[in-house]
Amino acid sequence: MGDLFSNLALGFGVALSINNLLYCLGGVILGTLIGVLPGIGPVATIAMLLPVTFNLPPVSALIMLAGIYYGAQYGGSTTAILVNLPGESSSAVTTIDGYQMAKQGRAGAALGIAAIGSFIAGTFATLVIAIAAPPLAEVALKFGPAEYFSLMVLGLVAATVLAHGSLLKAIAMVLLGLLLGLIGTDVNSGVARFSFGIPELSDGIGFVIVAMGMFGFAEIITNLEQGDEQRELLTKKVTGLLPTMQDFKDCSGAIMRGTLIGSCLGILPGGGALLASFSAYALEKKLSWNSAQFGKGAIQGVAAPESANNAGAQTSFIPLLTLGIPSNPVMALMIGAMMIQGIAPGPQVMTERPQLFWGMIASMWVGNLMLVVLNLPMIGLWIKLLTVPYRMLYPAILLFCCIGVYSINNSAFDVYMTVLFGVLGYFCVKLECEPAPLILGFILGPMMEENLRRAMLLSRGDPTTFVTKPISAVLLGVALLLLFVVLSPALRKKREEAFVED
Amino acid sequence: MNKFATVSAGLLLALFATAAAAQVVSTGAGQAWPAKPIRFVVPYAAGGPLDIMARAIGQKLSESMGQPVVVDNKPGAGGNIGADIVAKSAPDGYTIVMGAVATHAINPTLYPAIAYDPVRDFTPVAMVAVVPNVLVVHPALPVKSVQELIALARARPSYLNFGSGSTGSTGHLAGELFNVLAAVQMVHIPYKGGAPAMADLLAGQVQLMFDNLANSLPQVRAGRLRALAVTTAQRSVFAPELPTLAEAGVPGFDLSTWFGVFLPGNAPRDLVTRLNTEINKALGAPDMKDRLERMGAAPPQDNSPERFAAFIKTEVDKYARVIKASGAKVE
Repeated sequence: MGDLFSNLALGFGVALSINNLLYCLGGVILGTLIGVLPGIGPVATIAMLLPVTFNLPPVSALIMLAGIYYGAQYGGSTTAILVNLPGESSSAVTTIDGYQMAKQGRAGAALGIAAIGSFIAGTFATLVIAIAAPPLAEVALKFGPAEYFSLMVLGLVAATVLAHGSLLKAIAMVLLGLLLGLIGTDVNSGVARFSFGIPELSDGIGFVIVAMGMFGFAEIITNLEQGDEQRELLTKKVTGLLPTMQDFKDCSGAIMRGTLIGSCLGILPGGGALLASFSAYALEKKLSWNSAQFGKGAIQGVAAPESANNAGAQTSFIPLLTLGIPSNPVMALMIGAMMIQGIAPGPQVMTERPQLFWGMIASMWVGNLMLVVLNLPMIGLWIKLLTVPYRMLYPAILLFCCIGVYSINNSAFDVYMTVLFGVLGYFCVKLECEPAPLILGFILGPMMEENLRRAMLLSRGDPTTFVTKPISAVLLGVALLLLFVVLSPALRKKREEAFVED
Repeated sequence: MNKFATVSAGLLLALFATAAAAQVVSTGAGQAWPAKPIRFVVPYAAGGPLDIMARAIGQKLSESMGQPVVVDNKPGAGGNIGADIVAKSAPDGYTIVMGAVATHAINPTLYPAIAYDPVRDFTPVAMVAVVPNVLVVHPALPVKSVQELIALARARPSYLNFGSGSTGSTGHLAGELFNVLAAVQMVHIPYKGGAPAMADLLAGQVQLMFDNLANSLPQVRAGRLRALAVTTAQRSVFAPELPTLAEAGVPGFDLSTWFGVFLPGNAPRDLVTRLNTEINKALGAPDMKDRLERMGAAPPQDNSPERFAAFIKTEVDKYARVIKASGAKVE
């Protein structure tokens, strides 16, 4: 324990130097900005800034890049709530209740609870990293292909819980998502599937393209269909800029559970952080006393996934810092930045460069604090944005979306595809099919297939590998249990009642 | 709001004016190349070693030639999309590409449907780096040398798994070549990228990997992996204690990851020479040497366009043989 305090003291000593504070502040401001601009992600930004970091001290460079990363996570939820545009895969689920809250004039409460939930989650996750990073990294290594596959199965079963309409439609959307996920190069054989000879399709369809089309573009088309009067009614009834005490009371459980789930799943380098917000939402919907309101603007439906994704974003630094394994493209860029500085990312960073390791950990907490301080006063400004006449707002949103989508691969083809998904999304709105289960199927499907086939390759075709490995067996058992619960007559009745209400 | 609009409009105007002035100066000084910004296509996503080197070289070239060199990432289809864009560009010196062993030696054989010819559609300018791969095993595997590994692989056929970043990567083909040359049967487990493959190697899910040296060395030094040999014909100056695979009993083994700069096909000779000189000057700068060393790459010797061109031809032939022998073909 004494070690922990001296380590943290060392870390804060580094993080609180004037220089590093400024780099951290610059990073989180830039991160928030690109997070708010739909589609312009941290990957492109960090890539452009890499040459700048050549001449910075290593700690400052990494502190700034990390700041951009979690700042962007944070900014991404702002657009998810205000205009139904998830900028990052982790904020896709925030749109479900966040946007509903915004429509009811409670955007301030949603943004506020997202900010505060994220801060609590970030503080907790920073502590987790400081106390237990090395042993947790060993746990992460216990997850092989078989375990990942079973985790994804559990995730997909939980996906049916995401929908608040017809179960049949939810399953259909998950399946459609799985089918879209099949497009791209087969990992085992290298053969391009469903690419129709178009090279741009050979790596599959990007998440941002699907999410931006299905959520953002579709929402804009639907809004334009409604005419001006209805929309102005929405913006006029804005009440309260901050969450009330009652909101906090309602959310404390959701924030706690979201933080725990996010911290656990974020450790897994193979896409665990992606699952965090979805799982937290699904769990909260099952456990919350307010579950009937989920999908109609439940504040817990914002608090849980936002806490989870921030905790997950934070703990996903564990495999990077302790093993040298990046868990997502942003982390891969950070490794690039470390290599430029002559730091070989790997297990020895912690012992050989304690100032770097602990300085970064301390700066994460400092950065999270800065984000809250910066963002709470900005909520009022964001809400003002909603009062901008829609005929001026929507072309701007569309433009930023197009720039954002283009900037991912510098490809115009991606922009056309986003338009296609926008049209598909509009039809789904008309058919009352929800995009969230589709997105989950789209994200999980390819990962599930990859791990299934890898596990089968490793076991030389023996399927019992999924039940003879203990972690995998437990996960599959839970999935089976959940499936049983969903299909049981008593619960179905409750579900249908909830559906009839609206 | 209005004030802001006026100020930013003013700023924009000023920017345009300076840009226009700069344009006049450079074209006014004769039509010498480069007279406008150069597009430096990187056929991979930002952040990899190749992208980082391209950005570093781009910065040096911008300084020495007085025109911005803009890195343009065009990832996708294993690098084929970006390479194809340059193959179809005019060889006027304003579009260059950072090609690699994948785009200019492996893919043309691996993907029969590929749209460009790596030799005919490009003019090799200069090699940037040759990075050796290293054969690493999980420390729990009871082998301390390449000979012991071969003995184990022969005693238990199809028992060993080797991971790689993707089907058709140098890591994959190195494993297939090892299977052929050492007459063993190890099973290839492909991943989506080097990082997850490394994670499963550290966890012992797969037992070995042919990974790039700079990536693996820290894990080896931390005792989490055991290095057996390098895949190049010469030992690496960064890990001189490691034998080459050829020395360790797999004669004829020579594979490496490399990348270099290309112009589109049939580029004029003086342009190639000028660009080659500039790139070699950039690579010779102390900070660049430093950067290359950190990747485990020795700076190329006698880096002439002719030598690079000859090298490409032998690489294309070599990988065609490896891919044919291993049966690793993508329809």
